[in-house]
Amino acid sequence: MMRKRLWPYLLALGPGLLAASAGNDAGGIATYASAGASYGYGLLWALVLVSLFLYIVQEMSARLGVVTGKGFSDLVRESFSLRQTALILLSLLIANIGIIVSEFVGIAAAAELFGVSRYVAVPISAVCVWLLVTRSSYGWVEKVFMVLSLAFLTYVGAAFLARPDWRAVLDGTVHPHLSMEPGYLTLLVAVIGTTISPYMQLYAQSSVVEKGVTPEDYRYTRFDVIVGTVFSGVVAVFILIATAATLFPKHVAVDTAAAAASALEPFAGHYAKVLFALGLLGASLLAAGVLPLATTYMLSEALGFERGVSRSWEEAPIFMGTFTGLIVLGAALALIPGLPLIQVLVGVYVLNGLLLPVELFAILRLINDRELMGKHVNGPVYNFLAWAIAIVVSLLSLALIVMTVVGWFR
Amino acid sequence: MFFLTSIVDRPVEGKSGEAIGRIADVIVRMGDDRYPPISGLVVRDGRRTFFVSANLLQKLNGSARLSSSTVDLQPFARRAGEVLLRRDVLDHQLIDITGRRIVRVNDVQLTRIEGAYRVVGVDISPQALLRRLGPRAFAGRIVGRQVVDWTDVQYLASTAPVQLKVSYDRLAELHPVDLARIVDALSYRESAEIVAALDEETAAETLEEVSDERVADLLEGMDQERAADILEEMAPGAAADALEDLDEEVAEQLLARMEPEEAADVQALLEYDEDSAGRIMTTDFVRVSATATVGDALALIRSLEEVPDPLLAVYVVEPDEPSILRGLVRLRTLILSAPETPVTEVMDEDLPTVAPEDPAENAAHVLAEYNLLAVPVLDEERHLLGIVTVDDALAVLLPEIWRRRGGRAFA
Repeated sequence: MMRKRLWPYLLALGPGLLAASAGNDAGGIATYASAGASYGYGLLWALVLVSLFLYIVQEMSARLGVVTGKGFSDLVRESFSLRQTALILLSLLIANIGIIVSEFVGIAAAAELFGVSRYVAVPISAVCVWLLVTRSSYGWVEKVFMVLSLAFLTYVGAAFLARPDWRAVLDGTVHPHLSMEPGYLTLLVAVIGTTISPYMQLYAQSSVVEKGVTPEDYRYTRFDVIVGTVFSGVVAVFILIATAATLFPKHVAVDTAAAAASALEPFAGHYAKVLFALGLLGASLLAAGVLPLATTYMLSEALGFERGVSRSWEEAPIFMGTFTGLIVLGAALALIPGLPLIQVLVGVYVLNGLLLPVELFAILRLINDRELMGKHVNGPVYNFLAWAIAIVVSLLSLALIVMTVVGWFR
Repeated sequence: MFFLTSIVDRPVEGKSGEAIGRIADVIVRMGDDRYPPISGLVVRDGRRTFFVSANLLQKLNGSARLSSSTVDLQPFARRAGEVLLRRDVLDHQLIDITGRRIVRVNDVQLTRIEGAYRVVGVDISPQALLRRLGPRAFAGRIVGRQVVDWTDVQYLASTAPVQLKVSYDRLAELHPVDLARIVDALSYRESAEIVAALDEETAAETLEEVSDERVADLLEGMDQERAADILEEMAPGAAADALEDLDEEVAEQLLARMEPEEAADVQALLEYDEDSAGRIMTTDFVRVSATATVGDALALIRSLEEVPDPLLAVYVVEPDEPSILRGLVRLRTLILSAPETPVTEVMDEDLPTVAPEDPAENAAHVLAEYNLLAVPVLDEERHLLGIVTVDDALAVLLPEIWRRRGGRAFA
């Protein structure tokens, strides 16, 4: 009996888990590690809160997909005016391009840990990713990359072995501490941006649409979303604890990949660098293939182009052109000489955090549309929370922009 | 001839030009008309929206002019059989039958035919998008349209939140391969609508080309009786592939509902791995006893209720042991030989064969190497299980173009 009731839940695990753990990619590691190294446990409370935000946002996206049977860009095009659609898609496009760049930056950083020049590694990876996605079945490759990126789980062990002051950890978790210092604010927005990246919502929604999940089976999907959020939240928290315990006391800022890797030393010793580089490479390659594809699908679906990676150039020129262009652009930007890798990674997620409100407000309008959602619209409490998130994120973004602009004139 | 986006939000005037409101949407009655007629307007005046019947419409192009100065302010409510052009058609997807693809409606073309304003086509050009994106004053400067006639598109009833009777007659004009491509590219719900509209045979041919996961979802979502009927019509190999992706319990239920003979064929194939020779082989072939003559063999073929297609050869087996293969006689030889010739005299012996566990690719290579049209599949005891034809093998050798979906999950 037990088995029978448990089974559907386990079967539903997958998209939500994958989507949420995708948040722990190159940019995620850099952001959490920077937060730990620069502010100790001072941003831990935010991370926990943002994970709750993540659940609410992911849940709404999955529910949109289940009830309407449509992907996000589909819904946006069909429910918003064309100009609003253009604005929403443009913000998603910019956010995604940023992340694509960050994945190639991640590849560059991993390669340099192995002593390989980024000018060699990045172009080769770009070509490989392109070939893998267009010329073979991506399925098994995806699995290899995912296994590689599990290397980041070692942060959990590293966090324990670093013997953190657990009382300080608890204190950082339960005592919110909001500082208007630009560095702190920047990292706060970056933490939000990397934890709640638009592509994770796009993915969560499209995967339930693809599977044709019905509202009756929605509880399994929600379970998947919960597990995914908890998993990604736990990993993120331990990355922060590990770096806060090892790097913060020594005042080592995470400005290189090697510095981030050194937080793994209590756990992996001399192998810390290798382990970190493998994880970084796996996570970055995975996302470097998936993100350009997801972005291209998003655009072609909204604009009505012929689509599919199995189409030829003649059949789907715009689709293939966009996909190729995104990879080339991402790789090229990551190769700009003298690019400070870790700062770029964090910067990308600051941008993501700044653009997030646009997406959040779009989701909120869709999910509260009775003609679209029927009785599955948000309840009042849930709606209050969701609106609160959107407004808080907007205010933080606004504050960051104001601080930055003020900083220029000082 | 005018376009929807040039009239929405334009003023609605009474008989003598007085302002009544603005056009919020255009209501169209879907039904048997080739070009669906406009049945009314949704008019907005401040915060109120109300319905204005098409009977009152004197002019619609540019701005709407009514034949009366007073309108009944009945609030607008959605009714079955009616779609809103702006809300349910503009910016939505439909199928372009002649173009064999899914398109998005960037504008809707309207005109007056037989005393009524009607929908005559949809504009799918990128220029239409640019026209709507920029300021209205610039819209006229952008040239170029790509209008698909309304009779050449398939509107998807699941798009509108009301009960609709939509004709799916024209879908039958599409080749199953094209239908399959469309079914794969649409969302699950839309693809279920398409498949539901097809007859069992076309549905089966279409599903044979659709990705396995989508087929499994579709079969699971439809009535079990119909799912079983469609599975019976599918090639046993494709049916087995689909069943394998289903929940075991559901697969069992579907097999139980199928005709015993077809179910047995599928079940036999399920014994073998996906992409093995056993999975792609057909058990539908003609055996003749080694004692038969060419005339007997031809008579046997003619007497069959269902003749295998393609029919390439007959397989000669031991008289008392019909699963032991002696050789084969090509159809060409059968036709050219005298009827009284014993089949053993004209049969080819020492044939290359494959085992059911062999990869399907191996079977394809054997066919290519020996210039064969079919290769027999024998088990360890040399029992004849089936044959792999060139048709089946070709699907393996060609890159799996439409099976591969890469990142479809991200759409």
